[in-house]
Amino acid sequence: MNSFAMEWYLIALIMFTGFYCMLVSRSIVRQLVGLEIVSKAAMLALISAGALANNLIYAQALLITMIVIEVVVVAAGLALLVKNFRLHGAADIWKLDSLKG
Amino acid sequence: MDKGLLAYLIIPLFAAVVIPFAARNRPRLADVLANVTLLAGLANLAWLALRPSMIAGGFADIPGDAFSLLLVGTVYLVAFCVTFFSAWFIEEGLPNRAAYYSLIMVSVAAMTGVVTTSDFFTLYVFVEVLAVTSFALITTDDSAGGIEGALKYFFLTFPASALIIVGLAILMMTLGSLSYENLRIFMSSDIPAGPVTFAAALMLLGFVIKSGVVPFHAWTPDAYQGAYAPVSAHLAGIVTKISGVYAIVKIATLLRFFDGRAVALSEMLMFLGLLSIVVGALAALKQTSFKRMLAFSSISQVGYIVLAAGLGTPLAIMGAVFHLFNHATFKTVLFLNSASLEKAAGTTDMDKLGGMEHPMPWTSWTSVIALLSTAGVPPLSGFWSKLLIILALWESGLRTYAVVALLFSIVTLAYFMIMQRKVFFGRKSSAAQSAAEVSAPLLAPAVLMSAIIVAVGLLFPYFYTYVRVVAERIIL
Amino acid sequence: MNDYRLILFLLAALFSVWAVMARRLLTSAIMLALVSVAVALIFFDYGAPWAGVFELSVCAGLITVLFIGAVSLIREADEQNPENRTRFHALPLVLAAFAIASWFYLPAFFAELASWARPGNGGGTIGLALWDMRRPDLLGQILMLAAGVFVIKSVFPRRNEK
Repeated sequence: MNSFAMEWYLIALIMFTGFYCMLVSRSIVRQLVGLEIVSKAAMLALISAGALANNLIYAQALLITMIVIEVVVVAAGLALLVKNFRLHGAADIWKLDSLKG
Repeated sequence: MDKGLLAYLIIPLFAAVVIPFAARNRPRLADVLANVTLLAGLANLAWLALRPSMIAGGFADIPGDAFSLLLVGTVYLVAFCVTFFSAWFIEEGLPNRAAYYSLIMVSVAAMTGVVTTSDFFTLYVFVEVLAVTSFALITTDDSAGGIEGALKYFFLTFPASALIIVGLAILMMTLGSLSYENLRIFMSSDIPAGPVTFAAALMLLGFVIKSGVVPFHAWTPDAYQGAYAPVSAHLAGIVTKISGVYAIVKIATLLRFFDGRAVALSEMLMFLGLLSIVVGALAALKQTSFKRMLAFSSISQVGYIVLAAGLGTPLAIMGAVFHLFNHATFKTVLFLNSASLEKAAGTTDMDKLGGMEHPMPWTSWTSVIALLSTAGVPPLSGFWSKLLIILALWESGLRTYAVVALLFSIVTLAYFMIMQRKVFFGRKSSAAQSAAEVSAPLLAPAVLMSAIIVAVGLLFPYFYTYVRVVAERIIL
Repeated sequence: MNDYRLILFLLAALFSVWAVMARRLLTSAIMLALVSVAVALIFFDYGAPWAGVFELSVCAGLITVLFIGAVSLIREADEQNPENRTRFHALPLVLAAFAIASWFYLPAFFAELASWARPGNGGGTIGLALWDMRRPDLLGQILMLAAGVFVIKSVFPRRNEK
């Protein structure tokens, strides 16, 4: 087995962990943790593919943009969390059930 | 990136940065700046695409990919209606008024970026910007429903982005770059398409989640229903269509579904589209909230676009593009009218409303036009796009799909008739006693959009020429 | 794959499992930072120093600070009504089941995928790559930062305006 397959296998495991966390958790913070783990796995996939195709510079350029995006996304998520906490005093997704159907 | 359209991205961005400074002491200046920017953009676009010599020449001189131009026009049109409506809708004391307009401007810039780019990673970047602005817009009025909708949107669209990134990684590995052109060249060569279709499948899955097609539609009704009223029009009319459905149509044309490459993907997309049509329409039948019913109707209409994109023949792509435009027009009218109702009667619960036609005739009749267009009644614009889609299905020998699509177009008419009877016609309810028609500026966007619906329906031959130019350019 | 990189990958996986299973949110945040550090070291090992530096300073630094700030704000409410932990304790079991089941399929699939790779030129510098090939992305980054600023402004409006 070559090293690329091994790397992607481990990346798949990390991504599975993140998705599992997002699936079972009800707390917004934990969902964000899961999201971070998933996006870390996606970054690893990108760099690994870049290294395999001898296209590391290109992959790096994409990664830098991705990191900038990730910061803003996480900041927006945390801002939503804090706003929700201030207005309703809860950090639990399923306690929000004003919408039905 | 289409250089000719870059200004439509940069100018709103510039306006977004200027608005908070300009409006520090005079809050109304924020409304003026946002509206002027969008109106100027619209006037510019109208000159670019609709001047008499252009129409006479059959739109052959349209610069670049005519699809981008059409969508930039749609983005500006919907955003202009929304900002114009907001200028009179927003309560005086709203503390984040300037930020609200800035966010709309940034989302317009991001949508322009999405539709003018020619590279998958740049597409992803702008889609993320669009998503981030949407959350803040949804929660503008601090309601509990808004935050819930925003959070559900958040936790479904970003895992979808991770899937897209993995798809991009595989695409980068096998193609060496991420431009549309490379994929197009690759797909028209004879090299077996295995890994590229796998990458495209991952990306399509991500965009299907982002556009709220049926198995992944959990966030759509909540986000639309909970959103601040004018924002739900912005969101349903254009944002989710650009961030998800546009990419699906684009990938469908790049993968050349029409010449039989990637058949499995094409069939999968068509199935999801049909499922969306059926589930969305059936769910809309039993809703009691006006906005929630509109949200399910939106899911159902997106199904038509995805179905046509999955089929991928030139006629189907034409129908998909046209339906994308039509969906923006009629959904904007309906959501803006629901916002007017909310302002006039204080609720959008259909059981509490009734007989609203008497106090609010304009709102009632623009709704009728929009819903007839949604259901595909001739001679309104929605009829032509549905006709194109159903004809394309029939031509390709997919008789069952065509019949189901036609049947659920009738179901659409049914649930909208129920809605119209409950809300606008019938006996006057207590809400109708006290309500009064909203002011003229709040009606203007709905009337403008209804006029466009009727005009496009009646002037169909001209528009058909334009859409055919689009389909020819993006498929060949 | 050299051993050093394999160890880093395993560490990243271990820390991410830990971050999910940790009972206290603060531990979760710290474990997340450690995942970021491991990922940054992997970037360095691949020979992608710029991405590594960004990952270290931004993800392991800035995001962790934001996380800890938010967590300390809501910690009390979180401790008052804790979640049902059983599903988190099941994670190692589920992950192991997934790992064993996919061991027979995924590596073979990925190996086939790797055989499709088309080697690129690999030349140039990161600055040139960003400027020549990815210029629209820079515009996207600017737009993203502007969006971030306005999101914060919109979510936390100045109170005195009310």
